[in-house]
Amino acid sequence: MSPISLVGAASYMPRRIVDNRFFQIEENEEVHVMFRGVKLRHHVSKDETAAFMIDQAARKLADRLNLNLQKDVDVLLTNVTLPDQPFTGCGAIVCHGLGIRPKWVLDAHNGGCVSFLYMIGWAKAIMATYGAKTALVANVQNAGGRLFSQEQNRYRKQARIPGDGCGVGYLVANDESPVRSIDFRTYGEYAADMNAIRDDGVPWYEPSTHSGYVDFTEAKIADIMARANRMVPEVIKSTCKQAELPLDAIDVFITNQPNRIFLRNWREAVQVRPEQHVQTFERHGNLFGAGLPICLEEAVETGRLQPGHHLVFGGFSHAGDYAAAAVVHWKPGGN
Amino acid sequence: MNPEIEAAINALENVHRIENCSKDEMTGLAMEMTHAVYPHDEMFGPFCTVEEYIQCPAQSAYDYLADVYTLSEWTYSLRDFTRMDADGMTVATDKIGSATKIYTKIKTNPEAMTVDYHCSWDQGDELWMIYLMRIVPAPLVLKREGCVVLWTNCHHPYYDQNPFPEKSPPGRNIWVGDMWPFFYAGHWLELQNLKHILEFRYKNGLPMKWNGPPVEGE
Repeated sequence: MSPISLVGAASYMPRRIVDNRFFQIEENEEVHVMFRGVKLRHHVSKDETAAFMIDQAARKLADRLNLNLQKDVDVLLTNVTLPDQPFTGCGAIVCHGLGIRPKWVLDAHNGGCVSFLYMIGWAKAIMATYGAKTALVANVQNAGGRLFSQEQNRYRKQARIPGDGCGVGYLVANDESPVRSIDFRTYGEYAADMNAIRDDGVPWYEPSTHSGYVDFTEAKIADIMARANRMVPEVIKSTCKQAELPLDAIDVFITNQPNRIFLRNWREAVQVRPEQHVQTFERHGNLFGAGLPICLEEAVETGRLQPGHHLVFGGFSHAGDYAAAAVVHWKPGGN
Repeated sequence: MNPEIEAAINALENVHRIENCSKDEMTGLAMEMTHAVYPHDEMFGPFCTVEEYIQCPAQSAYDYLADVYTLSEWTYSLRDFTRMDADGMTVATDKIGSATKIYTKIKTNPEAMTVDYHCSWDQGDELWMIYLMRIVPAPLVLKREGCVVLWTNCHHPYYDQNPFPEKSPPGRNIWVGDMWPFFYAGHWLELQNLKHILEFRYKNGLPMKWNGPPVEGE
């Protein structure tokens, strides 16, 4: 298959920054260990739609990489936690805002925390099949402001974890900064363990006075942890093997950031040092799918990711329905 | 329970009871403790436990293990057992230490199906290498035919330093405790020997007891 390169990332972080007091009923309240470790997170406001955030991040990326978006986007892929519109997706609105007319637009709704990798995989397939040369992939996480800032939700124990943000990445059909391997796993048996629910049981599309929120099956917590411990290192190791990259040759490691224990466990499992594992959990919370491109930008901007480095992505989505990993030989510009 | 003692117990550091640790806290501790990988030392530093399912009845496995001479079949390197003396001691050669003599007494409890081998390299006055085995009927714990064997070994300080170097055979430059980091692997492999030998014997109707040092043709 023809090579695909990941050459840059940029973010848009919502204006509103929320500290932990927002979620506390009383002072000095004990926080469940699963939900500890976040100090700050961003929350979207009403005017910060998914399309707006992608627009802002894409313009920043274009400035950084010297792109002419009108010419340089053949493919647009988006993944949004809570879509602006349930029917239509936001891809077309993004195109209109940026003044671009890519031939291939796909608003993907699955893949969750590893949807960035899925979109890279699809971009690669579209490039190989149709000869597209460039792709903009965009992740928006907005469940913090849209769901967990609601009065009925903000005191739930998981409310402090989601943080909002948008991350975009840019892909080109060449081998300047190649994705050396990318792989995916599907575990449909775990799909029903995370649900968008309401306390009165009314489905999200019917009227109700109860706020909707996302919850895990409480009885499955130990099992979810065990599967995360198993499936994420497994897909990372096998993807590294496909790229013929020994684990001790990993320079920079980026995973999704659901909580600090998963971060610790994945880092330990592939034996990278904490400073190699780029994450922003303490100040951004769980960024869901946006975490990977936002942490990529963080790695570049802080100089932790240098040309020539071997960059490894990995993670899983929701309660374990998908897992994915990718190995990138990072050298944008082809140096 | 005496309420004062209970209160004191609940105040002890590292005691977690529902009275002094909420379910959420307990889940939290469990999450903290649950890693994806563990350093070998943390898993097998002070203790080494191996366990395996064996497709043969618990009683047969017990009979086999309770016969000290079968050690010459399922262990990696214990051979040439002498007949047990009046005190219950047998002497064999541990070929992993070339001419090293290993002294063994066996202590069994048929009701609990425990078989403990009290052993030592080089001398029989202090039997400090103690292998604790327990056989559990698999119908109880796995709801299937057969049995489960649990085998634990504790990191006795003598493993770190040979207390009787003068008793070593001349020219031996290794000590049994040098291999402690390999005990998990070594014991797991021996447990595989035990499993496959027992399954082979049981399946083919071969005797499960020897009652004496192995004789030619056994």
